[in-house]
Amino acid sequence: MAGGPVLEFETPERVAVALELAGVGARAYAWLLDALFIFLAWVTALLLYSISGDLVREVQALSIAGQVLAALSVLLAGWGWDVAWEALWGGRTPGKRLASIRVVRSDGGPVGLTEALVRNALRAVELPLAYAPAILAVALSARRQRLGDLVAGTLVVRQARFDLSRYDLPATALARFPQLRGRAAAALSAEGFERLADFLRRRPALEPGARARVAVRLAAALAARASVAPPAAGEAEGFLEALAAAHAEGR
Amino acid sequence: MSGPAAGRSVAAFVRARRPAWERLGALTARAGGSRLPLAEVEELDRLYRRAAADLAHARRRFPGSDAEGYLAELIASAYRVLYRPRPRGAALLHLLRASIPAACRRHPGALGLATALLVTGAAGGALAVALDPGAAELLVPLPVREAVAEHRMWTGHLLSAAPGVSGAALLHNNVTVAVLSFGLGLTAGLGTALLLVLNGALLGAVLAHAAIHGMGGAVLAFVAGHGPLELSALLIAAQAGFVLAAALVDPGEWPRRTALQVAGRESAMLLAVVVPALVLAALLEAGVSPSGTFSPQARAVLGLGLAATLWAWLLGPRPSGG
Repeated sequence: MAGGPVLEFETPERVAVALELAGVGARAYAWLLDALFIFLAWVTALLLYSISGDLVREVQALSIAGQVLAALSVLLAGWGWDVAWEALWGGRTPGKRLASIRVVRSDGGPVGLTEALVRNALRAVELPLAYAPAILAVALSARRQRLGDLVAGTLVVRQARFDLSRYDLPATALARFPQLRGRAAAALSAEGFERLADFLRRRPALEPGARARVAVRLAAALAARASVAPPAAGEAEGFLEALAAAHAEGR
Repeated sequence: MSGPAAGRSVAAFVRARRPAWERLGALTARAGGSRLPLAEVEELDRLYRRAAADLAHARRRFPGSDAEGYLAELIASAYRVLYRPRPRGAALLHLLRASIPAACRRHPGALGLATALLVTGAAGGALAVALDPGAAELLVPLPVREAVAEHRMWTGHLLSAAPGVSGAALLHNNVTVAVLSFGLGLTAGLGTALLLVLNGALLGAVLAHAAIHGMGGAVLAFVAGHGPLELSALLIAAQAGFVLAAALVDPGEWPRRTALQVAGRESAMLLAVVVPALVLAALLEAGVSPSGTFSPQARAVLGLGLAATLWAWLLGPRPSGG
């Protein structure tokens, strides 16, 4: 996890959980996506409608009550979109889902209709000012809250993605370096293992020269700690895989 | 802790426990969308407690690992499902019968202030136009003046976010005025007060101007259907704004942030009244007020009756219990 501000809360089972708070970038991105979705929804609706009829004429032909309802629905669509999604979908709108963020109560619990109503109603104050107060508040406040969040008692947290497949290490790598069996625990702390797993996962994206250099240096340092001879330059990555697999085997 | 996972490497720990975590994740995702059978609820509960213990273990033994981060996310999302407020009909009924009226009656000062400001504004506007008919050029929107001069009825709204600006201006609608008078509570109530006085002045000036030109009866008859509800909604929205303002200005023994959150919940109850009231008022304005089928008397009875029902619900005697 990165070092940004976090929301810390405790479940009734006395488990402390820390979630990273979302910043301006992710939230603005989510807002733009939602605006796009609402826009596309309207365009689609109008297109579909225009197949069957002449919208302008039909709206004019509506009873006055119908026209008022139509106007109100346009007016409230943006607000209702946010409120409905957040209240019914665990604090996420489609835009927030794509930006990997969600709204939660400041005690970590799920937002309800009340919170969704309040935090989105206060957009009415920020929107006419081009969202400037919201952007400043999110950027500057310690808990990354805009006015609506402050009043509703909500926070926006990042939904980090963690992949457990990094812990699936083929034991076959160990066949070429059987001497590592039983020595990995001495060479690698739990945190050291995570960093090694980071390297193994990210290496396809590295520039080839840098990848080889890092592999050789890592292998040499870890071999010294495990009290085994360092591998040949071409075998550094195989050695690292074997070391990780040996560590993963446990005792 | 000397559980079965103690002393193992993080990868061995993940290997041993991963099927249970993934099952918990799947159950959580399904419970978020629909109801689970009892057996699966019990399984979810059991897996959640196990995973919580795993998170505590991972935090102590493997701090900063992806396994810890994964478990924190898993626990957080299961927690959100397990402790989700229940959306039941009973909860809604309780909200309607008790919570919303209680929220309104907890803040009589805010409601009184809103009413006083609106009435003062209306009196001021009416008095200004009555004393000096020239004031109408300043206070009464041009389309209204033109309509009155031609002795025809106009179909504009009673409220305006920017009095003096022509009725065609962008901000001219009831929902915006109501939401603004709530949101401007964050200006320590000054914005809300200004909006109330200005809207009162506009209203008073329009009525006085119409009365002077012999259209007072027609205007009153037109607004009788929807006006009472519109004004009630504005007053409640302003009350919510003042509740926010009070928490900002005088948070009492709480930190300002906490006071503001409590006030936010109170005002949400009030907003839940404002929006439906405005929708109803808009329907009345469009469907009942201009039509010739309803007599002015019927419209007045309908409008005043609806507003009286609203206030009786909010402020009237409580039903037993609660």
